[in-house]
Amino acid sequence: MFHNSSQKKYWIFPSEDEVEHKRSKANQKVRSKIQENVKPGVSDSMLLERHEEDVLFRHYEKRLLDFCNVFKPVMPKSVVGTAIMYFKRFYMNNSIMEYHPRIIMLTCAYLSCKVDEFNVSSTQFVGNLVQESPAGQERVLEQILEFELLLIQQLHFHLVVHNPYRPMEGLLIDIKTRYPTLENPESLRKNADDFLTQAAMTDAGLLFPPSQIALTAILNSASRASLSMESYLNECLGLKGDKESLSKMYDSMRRMKTLLKKYEFPKAELVNVCKQKLERIHAEFGISSNKRKRGYEEDGHVAKEARLAEEEEWTDEDLI
Amino acid sequence: MRASFRPRLFIDRTIRKQSCFVIRCENCVEMLFVRGSGNCVQCDTPLRKNNFRVQLFEDPTVDKEVEIRKKVLKIFNKREFDFSGLREYNDYLELVEDTVYNLTNNLDVENTKLRMEQYQRENRDLIQKNKATLTREQEELEELLLLEQQGNEQRRLDVLQEEQRQLNAKRKNKQALLDELEKSQLPATILLAQHKVRAAQLETQIEHQKQTVKPTNLFSTGIHMRQTVSLLPAPKIEEVLYRYQPLHVETYGPQVPELEQLGRVGYLNHVRAAMPQDTAGGYSSALACHRAVQDAFSGLFPFKRMNS
Repeated sequence: MFHNSSQKKYWIFPSEDEVEHKRSKANQKVRSKIQENVKPGVSDSMLLERHEEDVLFRHYEKRLLDFCNVFKPVMPKSVVGTAIMYFKRFYMNNSIMEYHPRIIMLTCAYLSCKVDEFNVSSTQFVGNLVQESPAGQERVLEQILEFELLLIQQLHFHLVVHNPYRPMEGLLIDIKTRYPTLENPESLRKNADDFLTQAAMTDAGLLFPPSQIALTAILNSASRASLSMESYLNECLGLKGDKESLSKMYDSMRRMKTLLKKYEFPKAELVNVCKQKLERIHAEFGISSNKRKRGYEEDGHVAKEARLAEEEEWTDEDLI
Repeated sequence: MRASFRPRLFIDRTIRKQSCFVIRCENCVEMLFVRGSGNCVQCDTPLRKNNFRVQLFEDPTVDKEVEIRKKVLKIFNKREFDFSGLREYNDYLELVEDTVYNLTNNLDVENTKLRMEQYQRENRDLIQKNKATLTREQEELEELLLLEQQGNEQRRLDVLQEEQRQLNAKRKNKQALLDELEKSQLPATILLAQHKVRAAQLETQIEHQKQTVKPTNLFSTGIHMRQTVSLLPAPKIEEVLYRYQPLHVETYGPQVPELEQLGRVGYLNHVRAAMPQDTAGGYSSALACHRAVQDAFSGLFPFKRMNS
């Protein structure tokens, strides 16, 4: 359950500032790494600033969401939520400049399918990348498998993510049972769902418990329909005499709503500019690809040429 | 002669061992004595033809250790009873193991043998006494086994005799019928009826005999029936009485109703009902409902100081 989960202990932060602080630290670390070790004397303007990283991060997050939405077979919401949460957590401690988000986002989706027991074979998974040829899909799959262990490690092996979808169901059931004043709780469902989808794109998952997010979603949806649910909070949730907790609760909900309002999807031109910068960084400094090559030699793996030869054989027999 | 190092390559599978602990197959053993004097090829110890043993274990080192251990234990044969405390007994065992190890791996053989002889000299009496007790114990065990076997034999013979008797009785009955048919004046039907009655009586008699329990004077544990045995009561152990404390888990949220209460309060009306296929596996809609409500309430008030 959430109350004794690793999410509560390690991945819920007291304020947005702390989250921002961690991200800046990751950015700073990579910058200094590039400037000291890989290629000294590189101008600062070549490397990504914090806000540019943010732009790209939001862009790729949206791409992840779209990828999951058109996934065949249909991905359950909890799997999507888990994948997005992995993406967020990974890039809290690592920088986009070090690991390209395109691969990490697919690795997050792949890992999330496994953890949430949504059974998809790896070939089926890469089959959803319709723009790639079968050979391209193979290559992508290889990269995914390479980064999978790294992803798990950067998540500190905390793989269970509690999403707000089940708490929302639970709250609706509770409202229907114990709060007959509200006539049709089902009408709240659609708006609450939208709220949750939007909240998944913000940092709400890193700041608030999922049950609180769900409650905010429902209360928001109710206020949209001009229904008052004050008495639900007071009576059913037992907050009647506890003014302090009640005010704290409202405070959290207000913070969450602000977060949602603040979220804006970046414009396409800005995204392209930042993307170009990113591609150049990866091409020139290619920290992660260098790491891979070094890794091969150290492990005494067979040279990469042999593997490519195998790939060529596979393309003909590809079943997709 | 290289082949003697790999006895398993030979068709003749019986493998022989000898006092210098080198493995030879039977062929090689014979060849060795045909060739002249008996000296082991590998370790150059003089061999006698009658000093060969068949190998018992697959791994030659294991076999060697087993042989050495038998010899050592003939000398170091003290028992736990002979020691004043557990520590001394363990030290003694460690000494025994060290001796066996050294002799098996050819480490420090001279010193170890000297130590063994010294021990033997010092504890000669104790060794003799322990040998005697060991033989006595073994004899007792053998006696018990013999008794048991005799008892089994006896029972088997009894059963056979019983069967034999019954067969004889039946045969006599038939013979009697035939005789009577021959000699008597009564009509055949009456004789047949009489015979049938007699046969039935015989059957019931046999049944009765099977059911009578043979009187015995021994309980199954071996204690004689008339013997009075005094049994000590089990020792009493005093401990602190255990008090049950129910488990308390902090959920940082409002209290969730119990699983059994859900139906009564009315939660189950708003959950998808369980189909017959689901209930067959033990699923009930209360389980899903309980989980959803638990998730909804867990962590709702992370700031609230909950009372115990």
